[in-house]
Amino acid sequence: MIRRIALWSALITLPLLLLGAAAGGVLLLRQGGLAPYRVPSGGAITTAGDAAEGAYLARIGNCLTCHTVRGGTAFAGGRPFRTDYGTLYSTNLTPDPKTGLGDWSAEAFRHAMRHGVSRHGVLYPAFPYANFAHLTDADLDALFAYLRTLPPVEARPPPNDLRWPASWRGALVGWRMLHYRPAPLPPAPADAPPEWLRGRYLVDGLGHCAMCHGTRGAQGSLPAEGYLAGGRIPGQGWYAPPLDARQLARYDVDQLADYLVTGNGEHGAAYGSMAEVVYTSLRHLRADDARAMATYLKSVPAHGGEARPDTGRFLYAAAQPVANPHNGGRLYQDHCASCHGDGGEGRGRDYPPLRGAVSVTAPDPVNAVRLVLYGGMPPTTDGNPRPHSMPPFAGRLSNAEIAAIVTHIRRNWGEQDRPVSAADVAAYYGIRGD
Amino acid sequence: MNDVSSAPHRPAAGARLLARLACSALLAFGAVQAQTAGPDLRERLAACAACHGERGEGVAGSTYYPHLAGKPAGYLIEQLQAFRDGRRHYWQMVWLTQYMDDAYIAEIAAYYAAQPPHTQAADVGAPALPAAVRERAEQLVHHGDAQAGLPACVACHGATLTGLEPAVPALVGLPQDYIVSQIGSWRDGTRRSKAPDCMAKIAAALSPADIRIVAQYLSHQSPGAHDEPAAAGSLMPPLACGDLPHAQVTP
Repeated sequence: MIRRIALWSALITLPLLLLGAAAGGVLLLRQGGLAPYRVPSGGAITTAGDAAEGAYLARIGNCLTCHTVRGGTAFAGGRPFRTDYGTLYSTNLTPDPKTGLGDWSAEAFRHAMRHGVSRHGVLYPAFPYANFAHLTDADLDALFAYLRTLPPVEARPPPNDLRWPASWRGALVGWRMLHYRPAPLPPAPADAPPEWLRGRYLVDGLGHCAMCHGTRGAQGSLPAEGYLAGGRIPGQGWYAPPLDARQLARYDVDQLADYLVTGNGEHGAAYGSMAEVVYTSLRHLRADDARAMATYLKSVPAHGGEARPDTGRFLYAAAQPVANPHNGGRLYQDHCASCHGDGGEGRGRDYPPLRGAVSVTAPDPVNAVRLVLYGGMPPTTDGNPRPHSMPPFAGRLSNAEIAAIVTHIRRNWGEQDRPVSAADVAAYYGIRGD
Repeated sequence: MNDVSSAPHRPAAGARLLARLACSALLAFGAVQAQTAGPDLRERLAACAACHGERGEGVAGSTYYPHLAGKPAGYLIEQLQAFRDGRRHYWQMVWLTQYMDDAYIAEIAAYYAAQPPHTQAADVGAPALPAAVRERAEQLVHHGDAQAGLPACVACHGATLTGLEPAVPALVGLPQDYIVSQIGSWRDGTRRSKAPDCMAKIAAALSPADIRIVAQYLSHQSPGAHDEPAAAGSLMPPLACGDLPHAQVTP
């Protein structure tokens, strides 16, 4: 009897086990097989890379921003990143042997950048290795050569504060099997000009634009179909618009290149996360690289065909719109029109038009609400050394009044009919500190 | 033609000392900009005006926001940089300063420093302080408490408490809650000045009761006619604060 049960159990479970193993094998292959986990050991520490070019690439790749805590030593790490799974801290990139990259080989650096695995284990995907995988050997060696010129700083980031299973690096192998699909850049059109190719290399590689401008899938993943399709930036409290031919139709290539470098333009100034990217990175772009990025970005096919993206219903606090006793049009006249114009047309480069602005047209109202709540000061750049600021209204207007204004401008100049409620404003209230 | 040799006066010793301060180059740049760009700059600083007033004079009825007008530019530069660089943590200010370079910071600081000082009592019309509170406050403000290791406020902030050029701020004309909050922040390390951080030492030595008493007293004071910060070098503070000049005190 017992033998018969054992036989039948084996007959049922064995195929299941085999099936599971086969599926696991396939998933493992699709995230790059076992090669990513073979971290090179030994090898030369020094590299023949061009450190001066590396300094530029580190700027453009924005290594500095993520790997420096506010007011701390450059590249010594420790900046917190809040995710749905807890808080991560960036690592020390200075050549300190104990706490930094002091005894890393050029080969180990290339491997970590391309595969997201180092001697410390699998790296969290807040590190954009999916983008850095596209970098050439020469650029990776230049970056490494530059990092080796930094003064070594002994600084250990605080331990990550993540919930299980995210706290266990081994779980990242499972995440990669489910969500990570490394692939070289698709073949370029035969007639693609060098400028387009360079632009794509910067946007998809070092620039890692998709980390903010991609639509996230399950568990913080960046599926291919969400490529530059826009969405809420994890942990930042801002919405990043899609980057494609339709979204960027307002700009010609020169205007867009100018916006990237100056953080300002006819259609408004950079704010939120983009202000940081401009201030710490893009303002250092060489003119030809800025043009290349603009050229490529404007060529990205419009997402969702001709239909407007409708993700709005996921991004409001209240399931049902609530009646608002305030007159948004009158409040707009009292508080906003003197700068933004009666018809939301703006005034010059210093008072941006609201008509067609991302904050007004986006399915997600978070940018509009937070700009009205806390105002803004665009990044100072050579092209915009003395920016005009926008005053904060938190504390001066009630949540319901702010909701009425945002609803008014989005209805009239953004074709976004869904009203923003006082509950939405309350949900976006508060500035998240470091 | 050489501008320096053609200048009518050689710089005085105090001025030469000033010139050695790290921020002096920024100050000079900012001052030139402020002269040429008053109304233009005011228009750019709408965000600041919301809480501090158009000319940094403060906003009537505010129980928290400090005035900026007439404060020494060196102090204002240090504060804007502190918000940007993580030494102060008032998040609305961090939000507005975090992508701002030193040149713009210097220009903004020079603009507010050049405005007529605003040192009217913040708590106008508040009931008079009880005698005991007043006595203790006057002791601390004018004489300090040697036993507790506290120098007098006037030793650094000037006899009229209107500050000291180039970088010590006025203590009059500030709301009580703002003063209490700043001293509290120094105590718990969320407000830091450049080392050596003299105010952190003072804040640590003050008892909570004394903090409230001093803040109450300061918010009631009005300096009258002498509302300009004291001239640079006219006072030698007893404590080392950042890179400012101070008296050599043997411990």
